[in-house]
Amino acid sequence: MKAAVAMVLLLAAVVGLQALREQSGTLAPQAGTGNLLYVRSGEFMTRAVLSFDSLAADVYWIRAVQHYGRSKLSGGVDKKYDILYPLLDLTTALDPKFDIAYRFGAVFLAERPPAGPGRPDQAIALLERGLRAQPGRWQLAQDLGFVHYWYLHDYLRAAEWFKRSSEIPGAPNWLAPLAAVTLAQGGSRGSSRQLWQQVLESADADWLRVQARFRLRQLDAMDQIAALEQAVKLYERRIGSLPMSWADMVRTGDLRGIPVDSERHPFELNPFWGTVTLDRASPLNPLPAPEQPR
Amino acid sequence: MNAIRIEALTKRYNVGFWRPRPYLALDGLTLQVAAGEVFGFLGPNGSGKTTTLKLLMQLIFPTSGSAEILGRPAGDAAVKRRIGYLPEHPYFYDYLTAEELLAYFAGLFGYAAAERRRRASALLDEVGIGAERRFPLRKFSKGMLQRVGIAQALINDPDVVFFDEPMSGLDPLGRREIRNLILRLRDRGCTVFFSSHVLSDAEALCSRVAILAGGRLIAGGPLSELLAFQVRGWELLMSGLDAAVLERFRSGPAITGATPLGGGRFALELPLGIPPERTLAELVAEGAQLVSLTPIRDTLEDVFVERVAAAARSRRLEHPQP
Amino acid sequence: MRAVRHIAVNVFRESVRDKVLYSLVLFAVLLIATSYLLGQLTAGQDIKIIKDLGLASISVFGLLIAVFIGIGLVWKEVERRSIYSLLAKPISRAEFVLGKYAGLVLTLLVNIGVMTIAFYAVLVYLGWREIPEVREAWPAPAADPAMLGAIGLIAIELMLVTAIALFFSTFSSPFLSAVLTLGLWVVGHFNADLRDFEAVVESRPAVWLARTLYYVLPNFSAFDIKAQVVHAQPVGVGYLAQTAIYGLVYIALVLVGAAVVFSRRDFK
Repeated sequence: MKAAVAMVLLLAAVVGLQALREQSGTLAPQAGTGNLLYVRSGEFMTRAVLSFDSLAADVYWIRAVQHYGRSKLSGGVDKKYDILYPLLDLTTALDPKFDIAYRFGAVFLAERPPAGPGRPDQAIALLERGLRAQPGRWQLAQDLGFVHYWYLHDYLRAAEWFKRSSEIPGAPNWLAPLAAVTLAQGGSRGSSRQLWQQVLESADADWLRVQARFRLRQLDAMDQIAALEQAVKLYERRIGSLPMSWADMVRTGDLRGIPVDSERHPFELNPFWGTVTLDRASPLNPLPAPEQPR
Repeated sequence: MNAIRIEALTKRYNVGFWRPRPYLALDGLTLQVAAGEVFGFLGPNGSGKTTTLKLLMQLIFPTSGSAEILGRPAGDAAVKRRIGYLPEHPYFYDYLTAEELLAYFAGLFGYAAAERRRRASALLDEVGIGAERRFPLRKFSKGMLQRVGIAQALINDPDVVFFDEPMSGLDPLGRREIRNLILRLRDRGCTVFFSSHVLSDAEALCSRVAILAGGRLIAGGPLSELLAFQVRGWELLMSGLDAAVLERFRSGPAITGATPLGGGRFALELPLGIPPERTLAELVAEGAQLVSLTPIRDTLEDVFVERVAAAARSRRLEHPQP
Repeated sequence: MRAVRHIAVNVFRESVRDKVLYSLVLFAVLLIATSYLLGQLTAGQDIKIIKDLGLASISVFGLLIAVFIGIGLVWKEVERRSIYSLLAKPISRAEFVLGKYAGLVLTLLVNIGVMTIAFYAVLVYLGWREIPEVREAWPAPAADPAMLGAIGLIAIELMLVTAIALFFSTFSSPFLSAVLTLGLWVVGHFNADLRDFEAVVESRPAVWLARTLYYVLPNFSAFDIKAQVVHAQPVGVGYLAQTAIYGLVYIALVLVGAAVVFSRRDFK
């Protein structure tokens, strides 16, 4: 009985100390050095891990995911993602057939800050290496097209990659028309929507479907923003001044209620410029850069 | 005063991993041992002797019932200071010498270093371990480990000692030495509780015994009473016996069997019904010489075959299996 | 307490007479020597590599001692039945467990001490051999006393590992105990990742489970400040103290658990 009480008290102390450790996070000196990566040469590592290279690749992949997740979560300034590329590089050197590391990794790398390091060049390098290792993977070529399209707005190159990917045996039949649409009207929300819609319908992985749905919701939000800005312009023309808030436009009957995005966050109105943006807390942030139709 | 008092002590194990079934290792044992007594705890292998001793030492815990040693519950720290225990097939640390082992155990009783050495050396003399006491115990034979085990049980001059099969692993000489040791302990006023499946040990040492089979007490009391009716004949060893004389006796009822032993000696079996003195006198009158006369008794196992079977029969009646 | 000390001394004697222990120490010394040779081959970074290797080998050899002796200590006594005559002596089972633990910790600390002395000897030699200009460029002196903080935390971490190994060995076989202990050690080193679990997983129950484990499992990663010390990053006294207290409280918890489990056990 005495022992049971002692054990409960000690367990409480352990949990308490662990909580204390979490609170006084500054005490933990790990924060600065969790990002240390000693070995950066994939070639060396492949030899060093003996026959466990696939397992080691898994470990580095997990580290890459955690590094990404932790950097993304860490509030404020130190979102460096500084060893993300070396980690992915090591992972794919240890296991050159690690598809998910190329594909997910490219998305990680290409994301604009603060959601990622904003390095589409590294994403492309990673994917190109993947394609060299496995020339039969049309998905990698398709992803290259994506990176060019979505992050670099280089629709010519994007169309080129979509076309190359459609020529790889086993590629789905929607890739060839996608290449054509990209070439003709790359950058328009319409063509983007078509791109993601295709991905959603043909995705073979959950994360890809999640990603596609998210992008489609972002496109919806962009459509909404365009419509709202149009409505604000009409209001200004009619009343002679910009609305101070959505409430003004509800009163005049221009809006039926406070406009919200698909995540139920209200859009923000800038009363000085008449521009409309997402709520800062909306998970749809950050929206892709303004369109640059050719 | 009772040195040991055992009340309805029961130990049930669950055997089997997936579908545990209860197994009664000890079934309601009640027993008293008086202070200063040498008590034999007898029974065939697997009858519950070791289980009882482990319960008394609190190496296992009873399912129900209780045990007291020297008026206090078993396992009490004060009790442990005044008892000694020899486990069955004792085994100790490979890396220690016999001397070190005894000094280590003596230290647990709080004796000072010099006293530890004195006790260790005196006890090793007493159980007959000579110069080997400086060898690591991993080099010890089974019999020598047994002797060390007995020595360690006596390290604190105990008032009650528990020996689990003290004679096992010993040669005849060793057995006699340990018998003498137990008798010396008795003379010192120490209560000795020992288990054995060999009847002769108990016969030579005990005032009282308890007999266990299938986890149950099936007989108990003074040894003389218990064994009196168990004698089933006599063995007579004679020399200088004439073959013709033997033939004559064989045809009568006085001798039921004869085995030639060489050197003109014969081992003769005499029935229980006819007093052996008469047959002996007649044979001596014919010119034969007496070598020895010993009663023939059932071995413990012989006696128990019947008892155990009876116990098993009654148990089946109590707990019929579908 | 006397009984605990007595048993502890006997455990220490056992491990000293066990030749496995010598070879472990010898191997650790050899590894430090190898790290010295390796330092000769790679230009510039040699002092850092030797510090890395030295701290890592102290940690790994200590771990081997803690786990592989810790799991056998109690089990061997029960399996060989030497515990039967021992427990008939006036000691409680809790004293037995504590004594075994104290003895193993004594062994462990002596070993860590030997390894630390050898380690510092190599470092002092290296510092003495180097020209002052090179020494100036190092972020920390060769025989940096700050590394004692890292070694101290390694010692407490290994004491906790020992306690866990002992706990498992009070009721399971050495193989299972080794697997469970090493498993906990590995999981405990990923402890910080359990906190950030919601970054990679969306399922609520999984996140809660990760949170609970984060609070309850031993946080071994907290004891690892090797990299910081090698890179001469400051580690506050507060951090050292807090982590040490955490480790000691956890050790107390595990030992009470071991004593409770062991006190109820039947030795069939």
